[in-house]
Amino acid sequence: MSTPTEEAPVRRRTGGDVARTVLRGIGQTLITLGVVVLLFVVYEVYVTDLFGEQKQAAATTAVDEVWASAEASATSTVVVDNPDQLVTDPRQRTPTYTPLGGEGFAKLRIPAFGADYVFTVVEGTNSDDLYIGPGHYDDTQLPGQQGNFAVAGHRVSKGSPFNDLGLLASCDAIVVETQDDWFVYRVLPMEEETATWAGTPRANCDGVAVQTGQYTGVFGREITVPSDYAQVLPVPHVNNTVVPEDAERLITLTTCHPQFSDAERMIIHGVLVKSYSKSAGFLPPELTEG
Amino acid sequence: MYTWIWRHLPGPTAARTAQAFLLFLLVVALLFFVVFPFLEPYLPFDRVAQGAPPAAEGSSGQCPAWPVCDP
Repeated sequence: MSTPTEEAPVRRRTGGDVARTVLRGIGQTLITLGVVVLLFVVYEVYVTDLFGEQKQAAATTAVDEVWASAEASATSTVVVDNPDQLVTDPRQRTPTYTPLGGEGFAKLRIPAFGADYVFTVVEGTNSDDLYIGPGHYDDTQLPGQQGNFAVAGHRVSKGSPFNDLGLLASCDAIVVETQDDWFVYRVLPMEEETATWAGTPRANCDGVAVQTGQYTGVFGREITVPSDYAQVLPVPHVNNTVVPEDAERLITLTTCHPQFSDAERMIIHGVLVKSYSKSAGFLPPELTEG
Repeated sequence: MYTWIWRHLPGPTAARTAQAFLLFLLVVALLFFVVFPFLEPYLPFDRVAQGAPPAAEGSSGQCPAWPVCDP
């Protein structure tokens, strides 16, 4: 409009405008960095889930192919629908497979989490392995063996396989499928249940008992510190990698605790209560417990 | 920077808004699918491969490494 208002910006550009531009630049940079950090959180919590699910699907396809070819080469078996005929003695079962790092070799089902809860377990617990799915601590025992079949999994992100472990109750089934076998583990009694365990009737608890002897203090769920790695040894809490003669057949699931933190670890211990040999079309009745 | 981009986008305000939004999505996609996956192993939020824990309490040192998971 008038001359003074047109002159004013010219005068300011030489002085305060430089400072204002610099300040605005700094402000924009800081806001941008903040948004990038927020986006990284979104990435960690949601986007890695998508990547993890893709890797898990690939691992499942791969293990399905291996099992299908193993089944095809086996001698033709009679179709059995009575589960009792397929019950096996785990002492008579030796694994016919060799797990390879980063590749699936077993499937983990937890009926309490729904019929669609199934994860292919890969061998190894490095970051690449656990991105694919739950990972077997490669110096612990295999499913069904004496000792401890220990599996780690992410609680949040990378497919989040073990997010709901805190919801498991004692005697909930953890069903592991391998190339030739079904192994049904059940969660051990919780610490607060041990006092009343014997006197309380419970469903599905055959074979589950309060632990005694060298297993004293092993409970269905334990919260511990990250350095407590004796949890995944053959006899949990006993710092020895040798499997004793009289060892039980345990499963141990480990994940982060509390949710969104890696300050502690949640440990689930279960004991083998039943095993079946695989047969075409047969699914263990425990899978429908839901 | 943002003012500079805005000034150089062609078309009316509506078109500029759409282009700015597209640019934002492009940057987000770049971060999600290229930058973050590349950076992740170097950041402390994914300490899954923690390495073997110190051989404590007379252990043989063969104890399995704890996966320290995230977040």
